[in-house]
Amino acid sequence: MEPLLIMVLLVIPGILAWAFQALSVRGAVREASVPGDYAADLPPISILKPLRGLDDNLFQNLESFCRLDYPRYEILFCLQHQNDLARRVVQKIIEKYPERELRIIIEPCTAGLNPKVNNLIPAYRASSYEHILISDSNVSVRPGYLREIVRRIGDPSVGLVSNLIRGRGGRTLGSLFENLHLNSFVMGSVCFLDRFMHTPCVIGKSMLMRKKDLEAVGGLRAFKDVLAEDYIIGRQMHRQGKKVVLSSHMIDNVNDYWSIGRFLNRHTRWGKLRWQIGGFRYLSEILTNAVFMSWIPTLIWGASAPTLAFGLSVSALKSLYDFLLGRRIGSDLATGAYLLSPLKDLVIGIIWFVPMLSSSVEWRGNRYLIGKDSRLSPVPVSIRPSLRHRLTAVIRARLA
Amino acid sequence: MLLCDFHIHTRHSDGAVELRRTVDLFGQAGFDVIAITDHVVNGDNAYGKLARRLRFSVTESTFDNYMTAIRREAERAWEQYRLLVIPGIEISKNHLSAEKSAHILILDVKKFIAACWGYEKIFLEAKKQKALVIACHPHHMSDLSKDTLYLWNNREKYARYIDAWEIANRDDVFNVVSLKRYPYIANSDFHRPRHLYSWKTLLDCDKDTESVKQCIRHNKGVALTLFRP
Repeated sequence: MEPLLIMVLLVIPGILAWAFQALSVRGAVREASVPGDYAADLPPISILKPLRGLDDNLFQNLESFCRLDYPRYEILFCLQHQNDLARRVVQKIIEKYPERELRIIIEPCTAGLNPKVNNLIPAYRASSYEHILISDSNVSVRPGYLREIVRRIGDPSVGLVSNLIRGRGGRTLGSLFENLHLNSFVMGSVCFLDRFMHTPCVIGKSMLMRKKDLEAVGGLRAFKDVLAEDYIIGRQMHRQGKKVVLSSHMIDNVNDYWSIGRFLNRHTRWGKLRWQIGGFRYLSEILTNAVFMSWIPTLIWGASAPTLAFGLSVSALKSLYDFLLGRRIGSDLATGAYLLSPLKDLVIGIIWFVPMLSSSVEWRGNRYLIGKDSRLSPVPVSIRPSLRHRLTAVIRARLA
Repeated sequence: MLLCDFHIHTRHSDGAVELRRTVDLFGQAGFDVIAITDHVVNGDNAYGKLARRLRFSVTESTFDNYMTAIRREAERAWEQYRLLVIPGIEISKNHLSAEKSAHILILDVKKFIAACWGYEKIFLEAKKQKALVIACHPHHMSDLSKDTLYLWNNREKYARYIDAWEIANRDDVFNVVSLKRYPYIANSDFHRPRHLYSWKTLLDCDKDTESVKQCIRHNKGVALTLFRP
């Protein structure tokens, strides 16, 4: 087969994926720009905010929830420990907004292995209202957010409403990579699955549900030992015959000071999740990573003018694609940041292989083994630490 | 207790983060009191001249702009985060020899104080301005920064002018300060975002500049904490 034909064949799936993703994002953005009729009945809502440590922009993220244009809601800030750094921020928020229904729930809970679910369980118990919104600490919202998502859950057949996530900020290479990835791959994939595949793909940064619907799939405790509790809750609701709806109202995930290590950690973890949940469908991710595929000829046949030109052309095209997509969704990334997009895709392409080699994840200071459907189990003591951990231990010992 | 950091650099000298973002970083993290203390470097030797040339120093000509910017940010910080921002400078007497070098924080500074002045003149001018004088990183440090030992080596002479000593700076703890029973505080010597996670001071006092200064001077209700993620 002609090398040129091989090259083209390698990137066709990726370019097709870009086209479909762009179409679905365009549809979502158009839908978001059409003002909808707000529901006449605005039920009171309990917002559960699991917190741990300081996220970038934490004060403003939490504050944005105190400025919602909504008649009645409470916010329960959930912490596992008295000394958590987030506690001081929450106290300041409570002092600043005395007119709001704000509560701190500090209660260590060791019901399961998923620390976020552990954190949520006491707050869920303490929540006052039938509608609950689970909302991560690293998102910031606009005042119309609650009205917008409540409009979608007004339909009794809808069991869960989640939102599109847009990455904002970016002062370090790690956070630029993160925001580029959120705004292209994650945004595109979630919209594509929702619009073309009608498959729920819930990202737990914003999940509005009724308690009775959550209880019908087992309540929070049923998800205490899974890592992708958001996705699995959505899937269970879908299986129970409830609609899982993606609201086009975008919420912002501000990432300013991420290190490269944190970016790699999150995306190897997410990759492992998708591998365990999606199985062979995970293969499609590498096939649709056109930038990564475009550099394979250089790897196989060596650097020559045609192979380099091919890799560079696809990379340039990807930068342009991400730039246009970013403009479409109102991203605040600087134009120059999009030049990093191909590099980010190469990194993502490399870490795509990690889930085949390792099934342990590190999350919020804990290590777990991850099984089918992202079910967690503790790392047995007998398992030798990974090469990275061993190397780190040796370096630390040397430095000490 | 108020969570405080009194040793913070911005892009007005050699910090990596601009003033507005620095204030946001501390505000978002729930701090109660911070002091912006950019370097004022001595221009009387080649070392200091280079720092000035590289714009790593607030100078007499940029001092007013520096103070205006801090005051503006202080208003915003109070409005937005209930964060008290105190204007300050770090007098940086840099010499090739660590024994001759000294860094001094002047908190609640009002008028420019030159780093090339003599020590007594600097201290007396600070007292005249009712500012607080802190001897910073007075002993050997663990990182690659150059030590500044002059004040510690001459403590008998200058201790009476110094309101408090840094007992901890970023990751270092100078236990000699406690052995001498000097008043102390702990700071980050913030230059980069990661320095947010370092030693800090907790103060048991009201959240206003005078109360904070009094609390440090009397060294009652002062505690140290290691602020870690």
